[in-house]
Amino acid sequence: MSAIDFSDPSTIALLADALTAAGVSGLEISRPGGQLRIVVAAGEETRIDVSVTARPDSRGVSPVVVRAPMAGHFCPGHLSGSAVSDSLPRPVSGSEVLGFVRIGPVLLPLNAGRPAVLTKRLAEPDALVGFGDPLFEIEPQS
Amino acid sequence: MPETFDSPRSSGPRFDTVLIANRGEIAARIQKACRELGLKTVVVYSEADREAPYGKTADSALCIGPSSAAKSYLNRDALLLAARLTGAGAIHPGYGFLSENAAFADAVEKAGLTFIGPSAASIETMGDKIAAKRAMIAAGVPCVPGPDTALADDPAAAERVALEIGYPVIVKAAGGGGGRGMRVVPDAGQLHEAVALTREEARKAFGSPSLYMEKFLGHPRHIEIQVLCDTHGNAVWLGHRDCSMQRRHQKVVEEAPAPGIPPDVIRPVGQACVEACRQIGYRGVGTFEFLYEDGAFYFIEMNTRLQVEHPVTEMTSGLDIVQAQIRAAQGDPLDLLQGDVKCDGHAFECRINAEDPDTFLPSAGVITDVALPEGPGIRVDTHIHAGYKVPPYYDSLIAKLIVHAPTRAEAMARMREALAGTRVEGISTNIPFLRALFEDSAFARGETDIHYLEQWLKQRSAP
Repeated sequence: MSAIDFSDPSTIALLADALTAAGVSGLEISRPGGQLRIVVAAGEETRIDVSVTARPDSRGVSPVVVRAPMAGHFCPGHLSGSAVSDSLPRPVSGSEVLGFVRIGPVLLPLNAGRPAVLTKRLAEPDALVGFGDPLFEIEPQS
Repeated sequence: MPETFDSPRSSGPRFDTVLIANRGEIAARIQKACRELGLKTVVVYSEADREAPYGKTADSALCIGPSSAAKSYLNRDALLLAARLTGAGAIHPGYGFLSENAAFADAVEKAGLTFIGPSAASIETMGDKIAAKRAMIAAGVPCVPGPDTALADDPAAAERVALEIGYPVIVKAAGGGGGRGMRVVPDAGQLHEAVALTREEARKAFGSPSLYMEKFLGHPRHIEIQVLCDTHGNAVWLGHRDCSMQRRHQKVVEEAPAPGIPPDVIRPVGQACVEACRQIGYRGVGTFEFLYEDGAFYFIEMNTRLQVEHPVTEMTSGLDIVQAQIRAAQGDPLDLLQGDVKCDGHAFECRINAEDPDTFLPSAGVITDVALPEGPGIRVDTHIHAGYKVPPYYDSLIAKLIVHAPTRAEAMARMREALAGTRVEGISTNIPFLRALFEDSAFARGETDIHYLEQWLKQRSAP
């Protein structure tokens, strides 16, 4: 994912100019990390709403939310009974299974997709979760 | 069949939790009906509707997919999975989306759930316009002149059919609807091209090249008859509506009863609709749509679902149609006879859409402030509030403004007053257009056909 900073005025100005030039009246971009909405109205001031939910911390690391890929029941950790560390934060590999979404007999594994530090678990064990619901927060490691 | 209802309570498919497979005002409306019946509700929503208010008042709410309707509200597997995960015993499809999808109704029943609507077979029959017409003719429902068979490929055969009917005729796709897949043919010279174009359009848009031909009516009104049926062979019709105020085949204003139609003319049509329901084993609510011209009714199609405009019939009949639909799905016998059905006063409904009042282009965005009218004889069905974000992905209907009064003239006056007290800020709406329409003298006289609104708009936009 490219790292567009929605709160950067130069990015907003660039997008607003491009919209005006193309005769497009509005643009809306939603990403897990934030939302940008630009409405170009003839004869009025361009309206811009920006909300950024994931801001870099003091170390310059942006937390990323791992979301449910579909509806089901949330199962943190392994179901095999192997010991799962509940102590957070902890480092995880890209392929490590952080938990599952259980749909009947099917377990859908969830992983970070990149080396990261698992910082928060955002859903309760066995909670019913919907598509896109936040399950974990991780901090990607370069 | 005698007009009686079974007295014992049925041991039909009972359920205590209803999954509402829809969004917007109708999701809120169904939730209200369920709550009043003591049923729990599951609201499913797309990512775009994550903040919808009816999700917060449901017993369970579950996001089933991204904003695209194809990946959420039209995703059969996601809906069935949501029902399973939440323990819902029934699915209410509302209107639009999967409400008239026979395969979905079948899948719901096969999953052991109750589909709050007719059987898949009924939906399938009525979805095929030729089969529907055949069923209506068999039940004695008046139909538009023209054969109840598909138009043959042979051009000479099409010419013979058109000559028998008499020009102008209209060629329609058997799988069409909503004004799509049809062409008016004013004379024989344009027949072959019209058939070829419509057949190709039908093949591409509806997956079937099947066509049929009917007499084209020049200045009809659009009249509907609302029916309610249980699973015990009992059926009633709940009165009639006029939905002639249409723009691009989309209804804008509806009213009940349809003005100026003598009771002795409409009564046999209503009775024929009820008979047709019994013959096809129909269950739940449904609407027979007719064209009405020169004192005669012509069946055009049946909508096998709850209609957007059901509130006007609720206002004149005093019945809660959504509750009745759910009770019928529970297997309860109807608790009223045809003689119990009344039509009291007059009702109008205005569809308030998030759209530009002049260009009718959709207007998505955040509603910054809302004022909705209140008072005797005024009802607003909506899900919006200040701060609500109208998503750009779906139908632009954001509210239905419904009024009821003793007479049509008084109901029109009440609607004018209600529209004057309605304000939605932050987005564009068609409220100014509706206000202007309710000042129109021809509309006030009840003399408008299905083409009137388009002509009225053309005149308004003329320099």
